[in-house]
Amino acid sequence: MTRRVKPNQGTFTHCPYCSLQCGMAVRPSGRGALQIAPWEDFPVNAGALCRKGWAAGGLRGSRERITTPLVRSREDGEWSAVSWDAALDLVAARLAALRATAGPDANAVFGGGGLTNEKAYQLGKFARVALGTSRIDYNGRWCMSSAASAANQAFGIDRGLPFPLADIEHADVVVLVGSNLAETMPPAARHLDALRANGGRVVVIDPRRTPTAERADVFLQPVPGTDLALALGTLHLLDAAGAVDEAYVAARTTGWEDVRSSVAAWWPERVERVTGVAAGELRALAGLLASSERVMVLTARGAEQHSQGTATVLAWIDVALALGMPGRPYAGYGCLTGQGNGQGGREHGQKADQLPGYRMIDDPAARDHVARVWGVDPSSLPGRGPSAYELLSSLATPGGPRSLLVFGSNVVVSAPNALAVRERLAALDLLVVCDLVMSETAAMADVVLPVTQWAEESGTMTNLEGRVILRERAVAPPAGVRSDLEVIAGLADRLGAPSTWSTDPEEVFTELRAASAGGRADYGGISYERIRAENGVFWPCPALPDGSSHPGTPRLFAERFATSDGRARFHAVDHAGAAEQPSPSHPLHLTTGRVLAQYQSGAQTRRIAELPDDGPFAEIHPTLADRIGVSDGDPVVVTTPRGSMTAPARVVPTIRPDTVFVPFHWVGANRLTNDALDPTSRMPEFKVCACSVVPAGPTS
Amino acid sequence: MRLLGRARGADVMTQRPQRPRRPRRIVVVGNGMAAVRLVEALLARGVTDSITVLGAERHAPYNRILLSAVLEGTHRPEAITLRSREWYAGNGVELRLGCRVAAVHRDSQEVELADGSRVPYDRLVLATGSIPTLPPIRGVVRPDGRLHDAVHAFRSLDDCRRLLAAVPAARRAVVVGGGLLGLQVARALSVRGVDTEIVEGGGHLLRGHVDEAAGAVLQRSLERLGTRVYTGARAVRLTDAGSRVGLRLDNGFTLDTDLVVLTAGGRPSVDLARRAGLATRRGIVVDDTLATADPAIFAIGDCAEHGGTTTGFVPPAWEQAGVLAARLGGGTESYGGHRTVARLRATDLEVAVLGDRQQPAPEEDEVVQVSNPIAGVHKRLVVRGGVIVAATLVGDLTQIGVITQFFDRGTVLGRREPGALVTPPRSTPAAETVAAALPDDAEVCACAGVSAGRIRACGSVAEAAETTRATTGCGGCTTTVAALVAGPVDGLVGGTREAVSKP
Repeated sequence: MTRRVKPNQGTFTHCPYCSLQCGMAVRPSGRGALQIAPWEDFPVNAGALCRKGWAAGGLRGSRERITTPLVRSREDGEWSAVSWDAALDLVAARLAALRATAGPDANAVFGGGGLTNEKAYQLGKFARVALGTSRIDYNGRWCMSSAASAANQAFGIDRGLPFPLADIEHADVVVLVGSNLAETMPPAARHLDALRANGGRVVVIDPRRTPTAERADVFLQPVPGTDLALALGTLHLLDAAGAVDEAYVAARTTGWEDVRSSVAAWWPERVERVTGVAAGELRALAGLLASSERVMVLTARGAEQHSQGTATVLAWIDVALALGMPGRPYAGYGCLTGQGNGQGGREHGQKADQLPGYRMIDDPAARDHVARVWGVDPSSLPGRGPSAYELLSSLATPGGPRSLLVFGSNVVVSAPNALAVRERLAALDLLVVCDLVMSETAAMADVVLPVTQWAEESGTMTNLEGRVILRERAVAPPAGVRSDLEVIAGLADRLGAPSTWSTDPEEVFTELRAASAGGRADYGGISYERIRAENGVFWPCPALPDGSSHPGTPRLFAERFATSDGRARFHAVDHAGAAEQPSPSHPLHLTTGRVLAQYQSGAQTRRIAELPDDGPFAEIHPTLADRIGVSDGDPVVVTTPRGSMTAPARVVPTIRPDTVFVPFHWVGANRLTNDALDPTSRMPEFKVCACSVVPAGPTS
Repeated sequence: MRLLGRARGADVMTQRPQRPRRPRRIVVVGNGMAAVRLVEALLARGVTDSITVLGAERHAPYNRILLSAVLEGTHRPEAITLRSREWYAGNGVELRLGCRVAAVHRDSQEVELADGSRVPYDRLVLATGSIPTLPPIRGVVRPDGRLHDAVHAFRSLDDCRRLLAAVPAARRAVVVGGGLLGLQVARALSVRGVDTEIVEGGGHLLRGHVDEAAGAVLQRSLERLGTRVYTGARAVRLTDAGSRVGLRLDNGFTLDTDLVVLTAGGRPSVDLARRAGLATRRGIVVDDTLATADPAIFAIGDCAEHGGTTTGFVPPAWEQAGVLAARLGGGTESYGGHRTVARLRATDLEVAVLGDRQQPAPEEDEVVQVSNPIAGVHKRLVVRGGVIVAATLVGDLTQIGVITQFFDRGTVLGRREPGALVTPPRSTPAAETVAAALPDDAEVCACAGVSAGRIRACGSVAEAAETTRATTGCGGCTTTVAALVAGPVDGLVGGTREAVSKP
């Protein structure tokens, strides 16, 4: 499959937002504006786009773009425009001084799941080589890290989907646990419709009857934070009915017996009491799964963003394994990654415990390999650092970092318990933010460095399928703006860092290939040329010693799993419940999520005029609205033990009566969320905490 | 090393300074659901005391409440095993099966087994469960003390297997006892194709749990399922009539049958405790720490009486097991009673009872009730100060997932909520809305943010896609868009739910 380039069609690239990375064509249309056109041949979206994609050019020429470095005075808070040299000199000098007085870990770096592979790679290298700090992590920790940790434990590898997304169309049943893809990645819903047209069934599990649930044949509406118990109940019924694929379990897995005996204690009526899902509905689900040849279980943030997120995903993987699905065509388990480069962003070293190629930073062989590529001494590389939220909460504490460089993240909006995070940022000696616009986090910075956006730069992304794709530059960036790679190189030079710091994405990618070679996420055989010719290449794709071309790996696990013995691992896990349970003062569950027209912290989408920005709202059930005496549109105050926010009530019958939903694209939602962390993934419990809702007083 | 590990665990729980001490011998009498949970919880806390479990049955512990599901055939017998013998061995727990305890010697801190051998303890946990009550029916028990061949108890896995073995040859069965277990067994036998009748001595079915109206609805539903119910009738005599037996009732009827299953309740097994001189009433009396009058002896599960009540349900037994494991590990947790939810597990018979036996409501209680015997539905909520304190749901459990959450969490409801919970939800009209009826400002395509009016201005789906981008995202609105561009249409347009349900 090659790209059908038609005259004047422009540049084939991908959407700047979610992990679908929808293919699109982009062409300049007068005075720097961008026109978006469909690219029919890219199989993930086949020409479809949602309004975010259609409006993706909206920040071109926007008055909100920052086009010169800005420095804020600590005395009066005033911003001054400065030259790039002045800004980079200032930042480098402050970083060097902090390092000299307080050691390398005094400087910290925070990355993002929206950065290209090249940027994520270079950022990890910059932290370890130029700053010598172990303090680097990224917002992907708040995205799919629980699924990543579970997949590593169960399969020995973490690639969100082990098959192309379009495989969905050929499954018999797709179970979506905590995914609202019809709103969060609308073109993906077309594959569900195709599945149903083929006679397949869709199961949706969500505390809200979402537009995705409206497409479902079976819909279960559990209490937030109880998906794990639902999985255990499903396993119980599958075993009770003798529906476990014993031959598969014997040949391809270990650990089933422990799981079997632990789920004997999760009979449907017990599950019902915990989850609020009637026993009969659970039986219907188990019956459907037991009678289907090809079952696909897909988790998303709803299942993963919990203090038991990893265990929850492991339990659903257990369901897929018990049915004998992983490795079977058009079946298995997958994670619907969220951020644009949520997959690639977690593979190339911006994670606190990782080096490029999904290598672990405390593995001596991994350190040797990567240090050789970088031309540095392995012993100079720092060790494992704290995870994203732990990093942020350690800022400006005794022994904690005193500076923070932020790339591609808006933590003031997106971090849990955000008021506490804001306090930590305010206490820093130095906060540097690279962004396109004055985001809420940039507004707190000492130095803001204006960077290029998608379409003004090239770089690879790895989408939710593990397909490495290329976003090509389509237009020149505005004058005064530099790429993140240029920022990193400029700082590395000034800091006198060893190694080389290319600003050319393709050169950085070549280095990334070498650094990833031999790792779990091996990009060795992938090139920009191949990506262009093949509509993306699935990793692992090693460079072959005989010089021939590895085809890439669209589907994993057909023969073996990536564990030492080639077998998948069952894990016996138990339901403990959300870290914070409702109480008399906070009697309801709060859950958070996205709306269709906005993306993540909204730093980009809220500034695009074509996208409606009605602000946040609190979704509540009519019976709850009646109980507290509010009507649709009335302002309400949502309060948790950490903070409160005021927003209009959106009264809908589609949410559980004991649950409140708030979208997280605006300041506020994450002042409410709980910072309890998953023990292995360090994922905060964004998806459930206890809250109260009352009508806002007349003054608020 | 292990000792230190144990002591550290205790620190976390009690915030007290580390104090190494010698491991103790914990002996658990009983191997039912409470006992296995206790052992799991002790191991999960890293307790390194030696643990010995003395189980009277010869099986590894199993999920007793699923025996009727095994009888019915929804569960294979192997699937109800809770923990294997290998699991106990692998965790260093001594499991002795088929082992009857004859006496507890508190002075010497030993239990004496039926064979005369003795097992010393530092802490003794009685989890002896309950024993079935045999109704006074002449002829049921043979002179040698065993049950008549046609008569079955239903308490243990062995009972279940014996009954299962008898089912293929049986055409008719009588279940004595119209409680939860009796109904489950009756439904299971029915599902297996055995013509089944129920004899209940009280005035209505489930009389320990529900009122007469609910019992009547249940009876009607059962009879519709082909199970005849005799209430207010006591079985008094079993007569042997060759290959079959007759069960004579005190109302004069004699039921001709192949099988008689006795499910007429049970009572806490307190004999061992009573003979050891521990305080017993209906159960073995324990305090909030689950200790008996002897601080070295504890009781949990069906055999324990806390706050004047015994429960007979698994959730409180497990909560007691968790609390006791914590305390044996040095913690300060306590048990403060439990809210019960009784659920019937039987095909085509939906029953849930929340709260303790439904006493006559106190003055301040408000009762919301909907009863429709024709539809087999009876729903009753008892509300005190806005909180659901008890409920009965028969025949319609669509709201159970919400009602149990409100009940368990003590949620204070609004005035209209209890009523709304027992009335069926109104069907949502959106599913079958005529596209033509959409107002012009209704959003049809959420992906592109396009209203019905803008689509009506287009001549075709292709034009709508080109000019408004409707249908170009998730594609869910395509049917609606097709109907709108074609102008007003007669009849219903399918597949419009996602498009029109948005405000």
